[in-house]
Amino acid sequence: MTALIYSAVRKTFGPTVALEALDLALQPGELISLLGPSGCGKTTALRIAAGFEKADGGSVTVSGADITHLRAHKRNMGMVFQSYSLFPNLSVEGNVEYGLRTRRMEKAQRRARVGEVLELVQLTNLAMRYPHQLSGGQQQRVALARALAIKPQVLLLDEPLSALDAKVRTTLRDEIRRIQTELGITTLFVTHDQEEALAISDRVGVMSNGRLEQLGTPREVYRHPANAFVARFVGSMNELPATVLGASGVRVGGLAVTTDAAAAHADGARVRLLVRPEDMRIVDHLSGLSGTVASCTFQGAGTVLGVRLDVLDVLAAVHVAGVADLELGERVEVGIDGTRALCEADL
Amino acid sequence: MLFCSLFFLLPLLAMARFSLQNVPVIRLGWSTLLDKWSLSGVTKAFGEQEFRDALGLSVKLAAGTVVLTLGLLVPTAIWVHLRLPRARAFIEFLTVLPYVIPAIALVAGIKVIQPHVRWFLNSDLSLIPFYMVLALPFTYRSIDAGIRALDLRTLVDASRGLGAGWGTTLRRALVPNLRTAILSSAFLTTAVVLGEYTIANVLLRDTLPTFTAMYRGPEPQGSYGLALLTLVATTMLFALLSVLTRARRGSADVTSVALAAVKSETT
Repeated sequence: MTALIYSAVRKTFGPTVALEALDLALQPGELISLLGPSGCGKTTALRIAAGFEKADGGSVTVSGADITHLRAHKRNMGMVFQSYSLFPNLSVEGNVEYGLRTRRMEKAQRRARVGEVLELVQLTNLAMRYPHQLSGGQQQRVALARALAIKPQVLLLDEPLSALDAKVRTTLRDEIRRIQTELGITTLFVTHDQEEALAISDRVGVMSNGRLEQLGTPREVYRHPANAFVARFVGSMNELPATVLGASGVRVGGLAVTTDAAAAHADGARVRLLVRPEDMRIVDHLSGLSGTVASCTFQGAGTVLGVRLDVLDVLAAVHVAGVADLELGERVEVGIDGTRALCEADL
Repeated sequence: MLFCSLFFLLPLLAMARFSLQNVPVIRLGWSTLLDKWSLSGVTKAFGEQEFRDALGLSVKLAAGTVVLTLGLLVPTAIWVHLRLPRARAFIEFLTVLPYVIPAIALVAGIKVIQPHVRWFLNSDLSLIPFYMVLALPFTYRSIDAGIRALDLRTLVDASRGLGAGWGTTLRRALVPNLRTAILSSAFLTTAVVLGEYTIANVLLRDTLPTFTAMYRGPEPQGSYGLALLTLVATTMLFALLSVLTRARRGSADVTSVALAAVKSETT
């Protein structure tokens, strides 16, 4: 099993800084997702590992060997692209054995390996089909099989699910994770879809403007975001105007909320309190901020209420477990749990 | 549509009647429409040693031009798409120049440099570079359209990521997917070579077009018969291309470029 390490990797495109001293270490067998908005540098990081882009500075090592200046075709990386990238002139079998032929593997071994990986992605019966005869999901499974066939040191996945419809995306996402775990292959997964990243990763790296803002387990990143950017980007977040009340709390409207996040701000400072919908709840009369139910979105396992708070004139999202027994226009009171909240100076 | 067909077909029919009917021109009319059709004018030309030499040279020139054009243009166009995408418009402009600048201007240039490169121009095959230039507006566009229809960068990255060098990537991942564009380019080049007269005439080369023109003196019917035959042959090449293209998906751009080019060639 292989470790992939980025050390102070920097990359610019003209005046644009795509990566600013990226430090990232993937442990052997680990799946790390790089998550971030378009242009944050996540794909550049992946392409540098694959050898398709040259880093301006820093180094990339795989199992201790420096591959920073190694050409793409000399690296043993398996890559799956967003846009399928199958060779249209080759059948499924031809595509999967492409990398094996470049390695001059003998025909019998090649056939055996192709059969093995097609079985892994459950496409054995489609071996003779051509890419245009396959659905998007099937094409991406072939691309995955093709990447795995060469027994790569690291598997690089560049938004492989983004072109697929929701149901196929979920199925394939789980399949990727199953195969990755089964093979124990070190994997770097790039996505802008937080749900995807949180669902299948051992760790998630959230990127912004070429910087790695936070690297942690999905739970850490979601429950304890390192800063306001991560908090806003991963999951949804209510932003409530507040005033700092000493080191241990803030006042939101007329409600005092206990939170450690206030400690970083001066007493009396105007801040924005960032709170997850699930840290807000419907409470008894006179114990929270009063408001009116403005929307009600049933999400299966729970319901998200949009409550327009009277004092703040803010629409707050409140997560309620199960089916909320509330009507639109109904008066409610909302309580805030500040334990995991963040405070940001209100400029 | 009918008008366009007539506009295109009537002159060809008139040409066919003149060259393939053994009827004096003054008597050609509706009443003689079906009289004395014969290939004798053309077959007589086939018997001429000069014709066989000229045809042989034109075929050699066409083959040489096709090979060199494709060998040069395919990697160049791919390189431009991958490394110099911003230069594409400029390169397209450059490739159109031979279409805008008359061949006689090119010949004038050749005449200027002729004393210095006589060793090169002495060979019959010295026409190949000039034909490559003349075919450029059609060939580059055809290959360019083929490349645009591909997700070139991803295919190259996928191939390189699987351990293939540039040579293998070109041979196994790109050329097979550019087959229609390459065929189209080859046919267009052939059409240009089989139709080019000016340069060959000025450089005193006996190619098929110069023979056809020369043959007009002693055998006008045979000469026009040969011209008609050349036209039919090139049209059939493009009909074949159209069939091949339809058999493959997503190559409409390439076909349209080819058909536009053959139209301009025939006019």
